[in-house]
Amino acid sequence: MNVHNEIQHLKSGEVNLGTSIMAVQFAGGVIIGADSRTTTGSYIANRVTDKLTHVHDLIYCCRSGSAADTQAIADMVHYYLQMYTQSAGERPSVQVAASLFQKLCYENKDALSAGIIVAGWDKEVGPSVYNIPVGGGMFRQPWAIGGSGSTYVYGYCDSTYREGWGRDETIEFVKNTLALAMSRDGSSGGVIRMCVITEDGVERLFVPGNELPKFWEGKDLPGLVRLAKGTDIVPMAVEV
Amino acid sequence: MEYNGGSVVAMVGKDCVAIACDLRLGNQALGVSSNFPKIFPITDRIYLGMSGLATDLETLRERFRFRVNMYTIKEEREIEPQTFAHLVSSTLYEHRFGPYFIEPVIAGLSKTPSGDLKPFIAAADLIGCLNFAKDFVVSGTASAKIYGLAEALWEPDLEPEDLFETISQTLMNAVDRDAFSGWGCLVHVLTKDKVITRTLKSRMD
Amino acid sequence: MEILSYLNACGGHRLLTRIPPSFDMSVPSVHLASGFDFSNQIRNNFLAERGIPLPKATSTGTTIVGCLFKDGIVLGADTRATEGDIVADKNCEKIHYITENIRCCGAGTAADTEFTTAMISSNMELHALWTGRKPRVVTAMTMLKQTLFKYQGQIGAALVLGGVDSAGPHLFTIHPHGSTDKLPFVTMGSGSLAAMAVFESGWKPNMDRAEALQLVKDAIFAGIFNDLGSGSNVDACIITATSTEMLRNVEMPNQRAEKENKYEFKRGTTAWKKEEVRSLITSEQVTLIGVGDESMDTS
Repeated sequence: MNVHNEIQHLKSGEVNLGTSIMAVQFAGGVIIGADSRTTTGSYIANRVTDKLTHVHDLIYCCRSGSAADTQAIADMVHYYLQMYTQSAGERPSVQVAASLFQKLCYENKDALSAGIIVAGWDKEVGPSVYNIPVGGGMFRQPWAIGGSGSTYVYGYCDSTYREGWGRDETIEFVKNTLALAMSRDGSSGGVIRMCVITEDGVERLFVPGNELPKFWEGKDLPGLVRLAKGTDIVPMAVEV
Repeated sequence: MEYNGGSVVAMVGKDCVAIACDLRLGNQALGVSSNFPKIFPITDRIYLGMSGLATDLETLRERFRFRVNMYTIKEEREIEPQTFAHLVSSTLYEHRFGPYFIEPVIAGLSKTPSGDLKPFIAAADLIGCLNFAKDFVVSGTASAKIYGLAEALWEPDLEPEDLFETISQTLMNAVDRDAFSGWGCLVHVLTKDKVITRTLKSRMD
Repeated sequence: MEILSYLNACGGHRLLTRIPPSFDMSVPSVHLASGFDFSNQIRNNFLAERGIPLPKATSTGTTIVGCLFKDGIVLGADTRATEGDIVADKNCEKIHYITENIRCCGAGTAADTEFTTAMISSNMELHALWTGRKPRVVTAMTMLKQTLFKYQGQIGAALVLGGVDSAGPHLFTIHPHGSTDKLPFVTMGSGSLAAMAVFESGWKPNMDRAEALQLVKDAIFAGIFNDLGSGSNVDACIITATSTEMLRNVEMPNQRAEKENKYEFKRGTTAWKKEEVRSLITSEQVTLIGVGDESMDTS
């Protein structure tokens, strides 16, 4: 099934979450993560965006697509989950939250461009991750990636992911995947934000832009003139 | 704007205001009438000028007449220029997504709390964005040209007779260089005790 | 009868469609049903097809900024309004009042920023009265984003919202489609890139009032001098927990040089064909009858 290869059509001037987002479940909870770049065309409107959005105590979503659309949807789901908690007298399950997202995304598919990953912990099934791609489908997955950057790292995820990881291994997986996606995708970048959601609560993790995991970044071409260590490079004189 | 042509300008003077328009009505390049005034009295002390699509000009004139009459009846007082400007603005903004092709210009004398009269001018774009200027406001097909002349010719605190000369020369020389405006001009000068209306002689080509 | 004259005055039968179900004929009102009127759209589309384009609306090319500092928020704006390549207003106000402790800078379609902020200001006042609490910045932000989202970007308002409330200082940007960002320093409008360059190099946390104001001025200057859509003067607004200071035209770096000479026309320069003078003075002559003969009995 093709769920990720649709080109996102945005109205001109619309704020876009170019985005690399991700969620992975492990035995005790879920790790969600995202880059921090929002763009309008080629301009970075926000370089420290928080795309990990709270919708209930132990349920978060990762947003990709139009900033306006995904914020509006998340605000509505947040509202409905509060109402649900009051009337049902208990916390909603992740499935309930994901279904709400799915309903909004499917019924308004013509007007929306939103790819959302819902993740969290509930007492029924423990940790779970739901992927709701553009168009309004809903798929429960052990791990999910989304946004424009995700296309670059499917292979990495497929070859790296193993069942039965613990918390720390899962965090490393999310961090490495996002760093790889951000380095290849021009619309993703900035810092990595992550959340660890377990029965006990939510812990936020932050990786600054200069501390991202590094991978092979190429090496000097043979034959290039290399300056000896300590040689000053004198800039070209400019007449004032 | 270019369908029927036409231009309006208003200027502030010392205890007076002036508002002037051309008299041409066209059907694109074809001149149809040389007696089509674009300025209308709203009260004794407010004059409204409109340039743009002639059909909308007539429609809006009637609509403003209705709204001002209703205001006068409800409030039992004459409408103030500032209030009228906002009435014009909200009427136009109501049609934000299907606007009237009109750029209004308002000139009037407003009452201060002490009972004095203070010059007031304002203009709006076709969706009602108000522009309260302290010197002059313009609209219409010759607006760019009027801006240039007004910027050079206008002086603060002109007496009514001097303001008449300034606004007349500004408008006439601007519309003479505009293919869609001209064919005579109409100037109103509002002072505290009278309104002087003069029809100007201008080029007919 | 009344409805008939009402309709005629409004432009005839076309408007029948927009009379609300609750239209009460016994209470004639100067106000029509609220909301937008689309009745001209078919006509305008027809005109556009015939090659008569929509005239340009005033837009605020604009540089608007906001900046967090130790005690609150500084907002800044330039004062140029443009209509295409013409400067329509050389000294307009782009910092709009929302409540006493919240202000909002507007960029984009001038009429849209003017009317949306006025509408939200009005609703905030009512909300404050209804709840009996001091209004909060997030309330204004939510109202704005929900209205803008409803209109799917058709209302072209790009806003910088700032204020101080019970939860401290807040600064937001709101884009025309209804997305919001919360940041310590923000810029919007055509001059936003120039202004952001100044913020990115000069902003630091916990600045004092004077430092913050200077940085905001510098950011607006960058817009005024490097962006064609922005110009004229600098407006600023400093909001703290205890006060709101609107600094209209704090900097005026583009004053026109004094004219050395005047173009004053000699009276009688302009030839006119016809003159009408309407006197606004009503004069009455009082003729007294029988004065002195018999005084009126007023007892």
